[in-house]
Amino acid sequence: MAAGLKTIIALSFVLAIGFLLVILSSALWHNFLPLIVVATYVIAPLPNWICSRCANPDDFMDSAGNGIVDFGRFLTGFLVLMGIALPALLAHSGAIEIPAMVMSIIGGLLIYGTIISFSMFFQEQEEF
Amino acid sequence: MDVSNNRLFRWTKPEWLNNSAVRTVGVYTSGALFSLGFFFLVDAAAFSHSSLNGSNVHVKFVDWIPGICSALGMLVINSIEKSRLHADSFSYSGAGVAWKARFVLFLGFALLAGGLAGSATVMVLKYLMPKYPLPTLYFGIANVIANGLVMLSTFVLWVSQNIEDDYTYNLAL
Repeated sequence: MAAGLKTIIALSFVLAIGFLLVILSSALWHNFLPLIVVATYVIAPLPNWICSRCANPDDFMDSAGNGIVDFGRFLTGFLVLMGIALPALLAHSGAIEIPAMVMSIIGGLLIYGTIISFSMFFQEQEEF
Repeated sequence: MDVSNNRLFRWTKPEWLNNSAVRTVGVYTSGALFSLGFFFLVDAAAFSHSSLNGSNVHVKFVDWIPGICSALGMLVINSIEKSRLHADSFSYSGAGVAWKARFVLFLGFALLAGGLAGSATVMVLKYLMPKYPLPTLYFGIANVIANGLVMLSTFVLWVSQNIEDDYTYNLAL
């Protein structure tokens, strides 16, 4: 249990650093467009969760259910890459600066990594 | 129903492909590739309307048509139930189900290829023929890259779903 507590503290630390980087990337230039990255990464695991509730992956005979799971994974992959592509797009079209792009991408990846590790921990707890 | 007896090619699919983890990674990769292609289109459009664009050439609706065709083709191809493509050898399917499925599949691939060809057409006719310099030419190049990536994404998703079929089949027996 102590190890789990340590990981949770470390994860929240990483999450805080991620949010710090993203907020800094927008506040330093008084341009709050990079905050969209946070929204993207928060939404990214949602299709996976919703679609895995819709279909039963243990049911191998039912081929109709796996389509929904695949669709959720497709959307998740789409949203994760959107979190990288959106700041690059904004920086390329001059809406934000290049350092802001780098900071928001790194911060967004940290936030998403935290969300993924947290969901893995919860899944491990649920299985028992 | 042994697949190895009536297969068409001399080589078989490698063993590591018949793995559910590979299938999952394939689906994620497909979504990421589609996203990359889509954002190349959006990037060209955003750059064209930003202050960095020195020329007075802009991305119009014409530039979006090939992308729309490719996305529709991807939707059509991956909506088909894969087991219906060789349904004629089974007794439960009605008359001509496989023919219909193959026709719809053909339409999907035609849309996909039409999207790629259309993007090349747009690049040549709108940007290459008037001999625009590079920042303007990028709109056309991004269009071709985007449609190519959507096509690649379709193929990755298609292969991944075929993996799913083999996996299901092996476990159902």
